[in-house]
Amino acid sequence: MLALQILVDGFAISALYALGATGFTLIFGVSGVLNLSHGALMVLGAVAAWAATNELHAGAYLAALFGIGSTLIAAFATYFVVVRPLQTSRAIPKEETEIFVLTGTLLWGIMIQELIAYFFTDNAKTVLPIVEGVVDIFGVRTPQNEIFTAVICWVVIGVLWLIVNKTRSGKAVLAASMNPRGVTLLGFELSRIYIAIWAIYGVLAGIAGVLLGMFLGVSSYSAGPLTGSAFSIVVLGGLGSVSGSLVAAYVVGYLETVTAYMINPAYRFIPALLLLVAVMYVRPQGLFGRR
Amino acid sequence: MTRLAVDGLVKRYGGLVAVNGVSFELQGGEILGLIGPNGSGKSTVMKLIMGIERPTAGSVNLDGIEMANWPSHRVARQGVGIVFQHSRPLHRQTVLENIKLALLPDSLLRLFADPQVDRRAREIAARVGLSHVIDRRPGTLPFADLRRMELAKAIARDPQVVLVDEPFAGLTPTEVATFSELIRGFREDGRAVLLVDHNVKSVAALVDRVFALYLGERIAEGTPDDVMRNETVRRVYLGGSIETAARPESTFQDADTPLLKVDKVSVLYGKAQALQSVDIHVHEGEFVSVVGLNGAGKTTLFNAISGLVPHSGAIRWRGSALQGKTPASIARGGIVQVPEGRELFPDMTVRENLDLGGNHLDAKEAAAQLEWLFDLFPILKSRQGQVARTLSGGEQQMLTIARALMMKPKLLILDEPTLGLAPVILELLSKALEKLRQTTPITVLLGEQNVTFALPHADRVYVLEHARIVWEGPPDRFAAEAGTGYL
Amino acid sequence: MHAMFRSRLFWIAFVGCIVALLLPLKVSGYILGLLTVAYYFGVFSMAWDLLFGFAGEVNFGPAFLIGLGAYTAGILNGYGVPVYPCIAAGAVMAVIGGVVLALPALRLRGPYFGLTTLVAVLIMMNLIVVFAGVTGGEIGLTVPDVLSVNADTNYYIALIFMIVSGIILYALSRSPVGLILQASGQDPIEAGALGFNVTKHKLTAFIISAFFSGLAGALLVFYMGTASVGTLVSISVGVQVIIAAVLGGRRTIIGAAIGAIFLIAAGEALRPLGELSTFIVSAIALVVILFVPSGLLGILTRGEEHA
Repeated sequence: MLALQILVDGFAISALYALGATGFTLIFGVSGVLNLSHGALMVLGAVAAWAATNELHAGAYLAALFGIGSTLIAAFATYFVVVRPLQTSRAIPKEETEIFVLTGTLLWGIMIQELIAYFFTDNAKTVLPIVEGVVDIFGVRTPQNEIFTAVICWVVIGVLWLIVNKTRSGKAVLAASMNPRGVTLLGFELSRIYIAIWAIYGVLAGIAGVLLGMFLGVSSYSAGPLTGSAFSIVVLGGLGSVSGSLVAAYVVGYLETVTAYMINPAYRFIPALLLLVAVMYVRPQGLFGRR
Repeated sequence: MTRLAVDGLVKRYGGLVAVNGVSFELQGGEILGLIGPNGSGKSTVMKLIMGIERPTAGSVNLDGIEMANWPSHRVARQGVGIVFQHSRPLHRQTVLENIKLALLPDSLLRLFADPQVDRRAREIAARVGLSHVIDRRPGTLPFADLRRMELAKAIARDPQVVLVDEPFAGLTPTEVATFSELIRGFREDGRAVLLVDHNVKSVAALVDRVFALYLGERIAEGTPDDVMRNETVRRVYLGGSIETAARPESTFQDADTPLLKVDKVSVLYGKAQALQSVDIHVHEGEFVSVVGLNGAGKTTLFNAISGLVPHSGAIRWRGSALQGKTPASIARGGIVQVPEGRELFPDMTVRENLDLGGNHLDAKEAAAQLEWLFDLFPILKSRQGQVARTLSGGEQQMLTIARALMMKPKLLILDEPTLGLAPVILELLSKALEKLRQTTPITVLLGEQNVTFALPHADRVYVLEHARIVWEGPPDRFAAEAGTGYL
Repeated sequence: MHAMFRSRLFWIAFVGCIVALLLPLKVSGYILGLLTVAYYFGVFSMAWDLLFGFAGEVNFGPAFLIGLGAYTAGILNGYGVPVYPCIAAGAVMAVIGGVVLALPALRLRGPYFGLTTLVAVLIMMNLIVVFAGVTGGEIGLTVPDVLSVNADTNYYIALIFMIVSGIILYALSRSPVGLILQASGQDPIEAGALGFNVTKHKLTAFIISAFFSGLAGALLVFYMGTASVGTLVSISVGVQVIIAAVLGGRRTIIGAAIGAIFLIAAGEALRPLGELSTFIVSAIALVVILFVPSGLLGILTRGEEHA
């Protein structure tokens, strides 16, 4: 049945969006950075996994790990090479730091995207799925891969929630997102917290990228739209609010799926955009936004 | 002739009432001083007059015209000029251009400047004493000249009313004299001048009348002398009669190497001298109070000790220098600050905030410390699961202190803990400090403008005024020697 | 006025113009074509700089304004309207679009203003694809008329347009209005206290930026003969405009033009390297903003003014 199909497909797509958006919003919440190389980092993970299989003949699990690792390294590079130097530069007046970081991450994303295209061409690639086969859910034939994607996304989000809310270090990171000066006064080195958050971000983006590669495939061209959709979701949910991003991801994911199935796949991005416009006018801080 | 009439002015921010029914009149050719400590609402009143904030209720009347809900640019064009507490120059433009800006009409069509504008700008610059730096950029100017530029911008369009916020903050005594002359000049022009300050004494020589504010309400009005002698004012600003319980300095063991030694420390914020060659020391187990009004430099001093601002001079902790250490490592080393802004984690519960304070202890130690703190501040125990944002001001202050104490500090620095708190909460805090002092070997450095709170527990008192230490001694001698200069 | 003749900036611009005017005598039609496009991009970037450098508002979607100008002109021309009225209509449409965008957007603070502008581009991109019948969708719009078939003529049209726009925008930036804009951008509270209606001035800056962007977009359509989502209305076009302005030196107007020309020239010069060319240009731009935030112009005029 169509409704069930929409339900199932929408769930998986939304879960993927949710994972990507969560990383994006965490980085903004803690270090104040809108990382415009987000999509490129995800694509990097997927392509690295693909390359591991294609060139190095690695198995699916190993390839996935390789992909995640690549994004992690690239995330650190983003922080140390682009973000931190710009944030600490004394030649840039404080009001303009944000635009410089934005432009910097934008350029960095383009660089990664172009490098990928150069070494691996801009053709679409799919990553070797860890799970194959098809299964029947209430009459809907669903690839097991799709279920795997949704499950992994939520497991990761769950683990993240546990870390941030139940562990000491996780709480420190959460506290830092609320009040960086507060954690300094309590003896936490902010520099270490920033490294931790970029590490978490790298892993999240890496997993999202590899899963996307398995589920739908990526090409170097995907980088831009991926950043764009993460951006829209995060704005819709509220900059800096993780729960907001989760909800918004599902809203956007389902809007897209419903539109694709019931109206026209070419128009699938429109309702989400219209919603975004409405939100910008009526409640610019998003659903759960704080700042 | 009444120029400016403020009637029943009220400003509410959510549940907080910043200004509660303030009314006064300002005559042309008069200087009125609007006085009050931090949190009294004086800056808010000024912003309400200028249209930077909209009043919740009340009227602001200029020469018969009601301005209460006007945007600031309209108020400015109607004839009000303002000098903000912190200078706001355009950094990429010269002094001349900054003043010219103040003279420009609010027009979209001007492509070429009126030659009159240039001439007039130079006249104004000459009047405030900026002719010699007129082609320089603000970044190259000394602090006092930046303040002159603010005065110039404020009077550029010949306003009938001039508002000046903290006219003498950061100025040397000579500069204060020059600025007083300039402000007197405004009075001679026939303008109505409103000075906003936290210290009656510093503006006493300049103002004709004083209007004293506390917690958003009027507590006294009259000549400077009348206001300074007023009972309520003295109680609120000075804190009434004071009992002290000081231990003489000789009782402390580390006479030669005090636990904390601040040696000729100076701090510059841009151009302003926030601290000037300050020397203080604190012995292990001692309770030292640093008394000073807003802007005197207490927070800067504490931030220098905590490693949050760069400074010249030396700060020694247990004999070794703190220079070069990160603020977090200084905190871990035993110097824990309870800042003026509290810096709580608003969306975390009381318990979570406390746990973060105890994160460097092992589980057993942390649990024991928590128990002790719940005993010291019972209300925190009952509100354990409540989110910090929803606590009252007093409860938040207790939480901040408790959180800091979770770190088992050797030196606890308290920056204005009584700010904005009701008297009954102050009692509670005072008792808690008393208990702390009696049952633990903790060393405390307290910064306060509220003398009733600062003196009873102190072994020694420093007075910080305009970035300098001007007095040191035991609390019982304070009232006699330093108190008179204080109000 | 005397100060102007002594400034290094003036002489750099002057010499640059002379060189540009003489180029067709020595250089091939291909390079002229490249520079023609570069000059139009120069105007895009200068218009952006006026808004950012002066009014302090970051427009992440200049492609929205450019696209409005280009597509209006192109579509009207498809219905038989002659070239110059089309161009005029394009500029007007861009201004209207700019006002519609700015009115609500200016009420937002911080990153939200930028986000709104970005969303505008995304919407426009999708609308173009959805209404492919009228707009030519992803394949693009083909425009029946062109400004001229002669490479030299096109070059001069673009160059003169850029020079004139540059002079107007630069004069504006240096005028009293420009000073008020700078104050509005740097310190809106102080600007208000000095008697300036900040919203009014920022809206005007937006309108001016929209006008020049739309006009340049419309002219560009009649030069290239086509317009499409990839070439004119995309995030990457916006990115190029922003990078050009920041790279060239924000708040200088002239710098934005230099940045645009540099980016396109560098992209072309590195073309033999294939796909790596975009990478290298981006890398150079990143290095410049990391080490010389005041941009190319900052390097050239170092020591003259505090940036």
